[in-house]
Amino acid sequence: MATAQRQSLLKLDNKATKRANMLLEQNVAKQRRDKVSLNAFALLFSEIIQYSQNRVLGIQDLESKLSEIGYRVGLRVFELAMWREKTVHRETRVLNTLVFINTVVWRTLFDKQADSLERSTESEDEYMITDNEPSILKFISVPKEMSSFSPGAFISGVVEAIVECCQCPARVTSHVVPADGMPLRTVILLKFDKEVMGREKQLEAGK
Amino acid sequence: MAKQYRSIGEEVWKNKVEKVNAELFIFTYGSLVVQLIKDYEDYHSVNKQLDKLGYNIGVRLIDDILSRTNLEKCKDMRETAEVISKIGFRMFLNIAPSVSAWSADSKEFSLILDDNPLNDFCELPPRAVQGGLWYSNVLCGVVRGALEMVGLLVKVEFVRDVVRGDEVSEIRVRLEKVLDEEVPVGDD
Amino acid sequence: MAIHSVFIINKAGGLIYNRDYSTNIAKLSSNEALILAGTFHGIHALASRISPVSRSEGGKDTGIQTIDTANFRIHCYQTATGIKFIAVTDPSYMQLSDVLARMYGLYSDYALKNPFHNLEMPVRSELFDTKLQQLIQSS
Repeated sequence: MATAQRQSLLKLDNKATKRANMLLEQNVAKQRRDKVSLNAFALLFSEIIQYSQNRVLGIQDLESKLSEIGYRVGLRVFELAMWREKTVHRETRVLNTLVFINTVVWRTLFDKQADSLERSTESEDEYMITDNEPSILKFISVPKEMSSFSPGAFISGVVEAIVECCQCPARVTSHVVPADGMPLRTVILLKFDKEVMGREKQLEAGK
Repeated sequence: MAKQYRSIGEEVWKNKVEKVNAELFIFTYGSLVVQLIKDYEDYHSVNKQLDKLGYNIGVRLIDDILSRTNLEKCKDMRETAEVISKIGFRMFLNIAPSVSAWSADSKEFSLILDDNPLNDFCELPPRAVQGGLWYSNVLCGVVRGALEMVGLLVKVEFVRDVVRGDEVSEIRVRLEKVLDEEVPVGDD
Repeated sequence: MAIHSVFIINKAGGLIYNRDYSTNIAKLSSNEALILAGTFHGIHALASRISPVSRSEGGKDTGIQTIDTANFRIHCYQTATGIKFIAVTDPSYMQLSDVLARMYGLYSDYALKNPFHNLEMPVRSELFDTKLQQLIQSS
């Protein structure tokens, strides 16, 4: 996942950028939502992790448990976004879906856009959404003996639900890729199903 | 006194806590409840588990309140109730339940939750209502855990909830015992 | 930098955190540190017992707040939940309650909201280490 091997999708695709800006503006205009304290969320999330940890054997199981909890959140977030963004139609193309997640979903959940959206240069069915400092993970310190654990598995569950709602099912995983001063920088990796990529090709060809 | 707590609570909420979108919190809580129902398959066990998770949160959350407020020790339960409502609930959920229905001995009171964010978007299926689920039971555990850490042993339970079809949501709190904090635990 | 070291003691008198921030202070073995914590905890409890005003009357913590020696000063801040934040400083440091209160804030954020922290166990959090170090260096 070296930076050199990635290309920024938003920079490459002018249309995508424009669309992102449009979605963002719409969303800002409509934003008048109640807040709760991040501390309340952090304490709840910490307890969810502890509860899940007591019921699984390994790190992978723990991640899939968190992903499952996030998945149900994703379904509700999708419904809410559809209901709130009345002008937004359900996306079914891969790129549009990704932009939708990168902007609308991230803003709905985290009050900001994700920090980057990129395509892997190695395989064209793989995309990455990066959040440099996920606020909801702010207080978590993963112990050394669990260093492969990514608490962002919760977020990957949310994303997995949304791509499914957009008819673009993918395998979604989460990885901690620390950078300077950003110990919990989280990369959400999406690998789209073969059918999705096949459909994309047909649609491209039919243009 | 109540007024002073209200302004402390509001000051902390406005200036000392980071915020997160309520929906993320509400959906995540909902997803946890669904998980517990899957794991326990029995609503009474789910209530118990929610209370337990809440307790675990409460014993940690109390330090969050104290480290942000510099509160002095409450003189009696009436003061404690005000702090729970106007500071505790305010700084985490941005609500302040009303305190009412005091018992004659001033050891028992109700928190009336006019606006419980956990209930937003929540519609309980009839079988959950019949099965006795208290959807927001985590709150009882939180209050119990938080008070225990400052030496107050309390019994906390939901008695009414709008998502169960009741007119209001009401949590009943009863002081059972005050621990003597001058003698540290484990110091023989 | 005049804060030499920091100790955190839990309600039961167990040492849950201990770091040195200067080389000017003799290093304690982990056993000595545990004894120091336990002893301080005991004296603190005794001190509040002989206090003419109890906490429930006065509202304030009634235990030991500072101990002075010719070469250093020990500051202690006990929370209402019974956790003690202790710092060893140069004798010239008169007031440290703000810094200790901020340590409490860091503890409630980076220890208590970390799912991998067990309340009875020592604090093991890289984030807490870093934030505390930043606080010490800036004070």
